[in-house]
Amino acid sequence: MNPLAQLIIYTTVITGTLITMLSSHWFLAWAGLEMNMLAFIPTLIKKTNARSTEAATKYFLAQSTASMILMMAIISNNLLSGHWTTTTTNYTNQFPPLAMTIALTMKLGMAPFHFWVPEVTQGTPLTSGLLLLTWQKLAPISIMYQIHPSINTHILLILSTLSIAVGSWGGLNQTQLRKILGYSSITHTGWMMMTLTYNPTITTLYLITYITLTTTMFLTLNLNSSTTTLTLSNTWNKSTHLMPLMTSTLLSLGGLPPLTGFLPKWVTIQELTMNNNFIIPTIMITMTLLNLYFYMRLIYTISLTLLPTSNNTKMTWQFENTKPTLFIPALITISTLLLPISPLILSIP
Amino acid sequence: MPSIYINIALAFTISLVGILTYCSHLISSLLCLEGIILSLFIISTLTASNMHFSLANIIPIALLVFAACEAAVDLALLISISNTYGLDCIHNLSLLQC
Repeated sequence: MNPLAQLIIYTTVITGTLITMLSSHWFLAWAGLEMNMLAFIPTLIKKTNARSTEAATKYFLAQSTASMILMMAIISNNLLSGHWTTTTTNYTNQFPPLAMTIALTMKLGMAPFHFWVPEVTQGTPLTSGLLLLTWQKLAPISIMYQIHPSINTHILLILSTLSIAVGSWGGLNQTQLRKILGYSSITHTGWMMMTLTYNPTITTLYLITYITLTTTMFLTLNLNSSTTTLTLSNTWNKSTHLMPLMTSTLLSLGGLPPLTGFLPKWVTIQELTMNNNFIIPTIMITMTLLNLYFYMRLIYTISLTLLPTSNNTKMTWQFENTKPTLFIPALITISTLLLPISPLILSIP
Repeated sequence: MPSIYINIALAFTISLVGILTYCSHLISSLLCLEGIILSLFIISTLTASNMHFSLANIIPIALLVFAACEAAVDLALLISISNTYGLDCIHNLSLLQC
């Protein structure tokens, strides 16, 4: 893409999210979401082929429907309560918070509105998929943070449990890495929204950890340009140093102690049990084990086995990698080694 | 609440159902999207007039600005799909299915 066009597009994406996060008037929050969506579409079509266009169309349809439902909720909120501020809660009428919840979960890609997430992540280049799964979550979650006292807890618990179930079972039959990361995004968004009505700072902690982990995964995959499990199995030969690092990042994404990914899950379960909610965390954990299973399958193909290939791939000439690896060491360190300082992390909010 | 709001809310709901259920063409769902925007425009104008809140009169106009941009992107994607497949049938969008 033309550098000037790229500058304008990325600036608009960032500005849209910032407008949404910093606004207290409902219309401005909606306008920021629209700016974000409209400027993100060209990012999805960076490489012009049929898959990108299809991915951009599916993304556009899902997000614009959600924007329209959100606008209806905003206007009916004004009709029923007379104000335009995002921070005053609405306990008497249930329709506007319910419609906002549905609209924002459609934007985030939670079940049962999740069908666009794996397909759109699959049809776009790896860096666009990275922005899709990390930056595009910030604006809707910031709105949900602001309206969290008026959200119906039961609806959010049902949506989150359904997201975890769908994300775990859906990713089992995949070999395309971007689809696997899309289903993992659905599962993690389900975990994030569990504690929104109980203690939204845990949602923020999970969001930051998830963004770090997903950014690490996407950037390491980008180094080898690997998008299928088959090309991922060449990592031992092409960039040997990434083999244990990708393994530990995947284990952290699956939520195993003593890695960083365990911390948000631990705090989520603690918060839910403090509110006398025991069955739902059990269901969540057992379904997330399926999530861990397909990460383990990726780890198996990266490091524990050698797939049957011709001898050319086993004896490649070792070129020096020219892709930028600017943030990867720092991100890998953060995404695997942060658990011992968790008292410090938990004392920040 | 005057019954006009129920009427416009019904228009919104029917257009929303129109987006969510489409048989063959993509353009029918885009048309229903424009129907939703029209009903939102009317209901926001009525709200701003009935509450006599003159500062909110900008909201329908700004809504139309964003709606026009969205429709333009919409149509550009539709034309891009037509360039690839020749029609805008939904059945054609099956490259990315698992």
